[in-house]
Amino acid sequence: MKLAYGAKSDVGLKRTQNEDRFCADPRLGLYVVCDGMGGRNAGEVASELAVEVIHKHVLEAVQDGNLPMVGQYDGTFSPHTNRLASAIHLANQVIHREAQDQPAHAGMGTTVVSALIAGQVLSLAHVGDSRLYLIREGMIEPLTADHSVVGEQVRRELLTEEEADRSPYRHVLTRGVGVGATVEVELGEVPVMNGDLLVLCSDGLTIGVKPRDMLHAVRCEWNPQAIADRLVSMANAAGGEDNTTVVVVSLGEETRQGVWRRIWNQILRWR
Amino acid sequence: MSEVMTQGPKVILKFNESILKEIEITQPEFTIGRRPDNDLVIDHAAVSGRHARIVQVQSVFFLEDVGSTNGTFVNDRRIDRRQLQDTDVVTIGKHRLIFRDEVTNGSPSGQPKFRDLNGTMVMTGQKLRESRAEQKVGIVQIISGRTDRKEYKLTKRLTIIGSQAQATIKLTGYFVPKIAAMIGRRGEGYFISTSEEVKTIHVNNKAVKGQADLKDGDLLELKGVKMYFYLKGPNQP
Repeated sequence: MKLAYGAKSDVGLKRTQNEDRFCADPRLGLYVVCDGMGGRNAGEVASELAVEVIHKHVLEAVQDGNLPMVGQYDGTFSPHTNRLASAIHLANQVIHREAQDQPAHAGMGTTVVSALIAGQVLSLAHVGDSRLYLIREGMIEPLTADHSVVGEQVRRELLTEEEADRSPYRHVLTRGVGVGATVEVELGEVPVMNGDLLVLCSDGLTIGVKPRDMLHAVRCEWNPQAIADRLVSMANAAGGEDNTTVVVVSLGEETRQGVWRRIWNQILRWR
Repeated sequence: MSEVMTQGPKVILKFNESILKEIEITQPEFTIGRRPDNDLVIDHAAVSGRHARIVQVQSVFFLEDVGSTNGTFVNDRRIDRRQLQDTDVVTIGKHRLIFRDEVTNGSPSGQPKFRDLNGTMVMTGQKLRESRAEQKVGIVQIISGRTDRKEYKLTKRLTIIGSQAQATIKLTGYFVPKIAAMIGRRGEGYFISTSEEVKTIHVNNKAVKGQADLKDGDLLELKGVKMYFYLKGPNQP
């Protein structure tokens, strides 16, 4: 499937450093967003390491089919999905070791949301509160659920989404890459189709921009880069509380039907 | 959801946005304070030498303030003694502790607990685990057409139907596409998705394009292969 992407990472309006990192490699079909945490500049060290290690591991797996898997193999998922998990387990080891060796980096960690597209199958893996959304036929659907205190409470129906957005604990994560000696990675596998759009993002976007508004941004723009730019501007317009990183991936060539749909959406906008 | 509830109770110590450490609670009395002989040492001026403790009483955990200067808070409410629930946030000075009690398999602490929240009963770990164990698994039985087997158990997250090597349901006829369709598992249910090569499949003789949820007893037809989809309980023969 033909892949096109656009990406933007921005420090926001309140922070002085951007601790988000991303990676996009259409040849591998690999897209990653990491949101680092930890004092001083440790957060960006963690997110930088994560992005590097994940990319390198997936690339090496393509070159060497016998590359060993790091962490437990889950037979209910495809080898591709397991490879993505393996890359995150490896990143966890590297960051954790670095955090122990360097006192300045103690306690650092990062979120990871990652997508690996192989043909018509999307493998996804995530840890923390960076998210992946699927936009298909004018509808948006989250493919990840946050590993945060409020996220777990929403899963258990102790909180509604709206209450979660207002909670003072919405930034508190229950899992992070590099924080412990091992990490639990949540995996997923979904079929993808021509015309699908994926949005990977750090919480800088989701704090202020609701899925409904993300959908609107997608309708207004013509290519993935323009969508990414618009989403980041929207996050800053909503307060720019945190660093915002957005990677937008469009799948497949635009069909004629897709073109007509866009024209139709454009007409709806003018009305 | 890969939130596998196999770990023992633990606390996650946070300061500002970063996780400082994760500590498992293995002792019946778990002490928190600034002095180095505590089980969890928080070296900060706002924390008392002996600040609080977590005590296990049978299967439940209680948090007690042991006469601290600045107080102990659970979900922003000051407490003297209070039962802890999974994901409770404990504030001590400027530090936050997250209490995690993902109920372990078959242990005494696996008693189903209910939390009263506006009168709603809420399932905790053990209950969720039970319901997952009872989850039904999808079966595809081949009625007619050329495939490598007659019956398939859909245990994978995504089952590929087609001629390619990774396909679980392998079509062996002539001129069959690499991927004819995919059956995905989502929470309790299953759905079928068409592929790039085969844009339309039939479910109960109705044409489906894109994605459709599967129901127990659905008849599927694609590329000359007829299949019967049904759900089977884990203990059914």
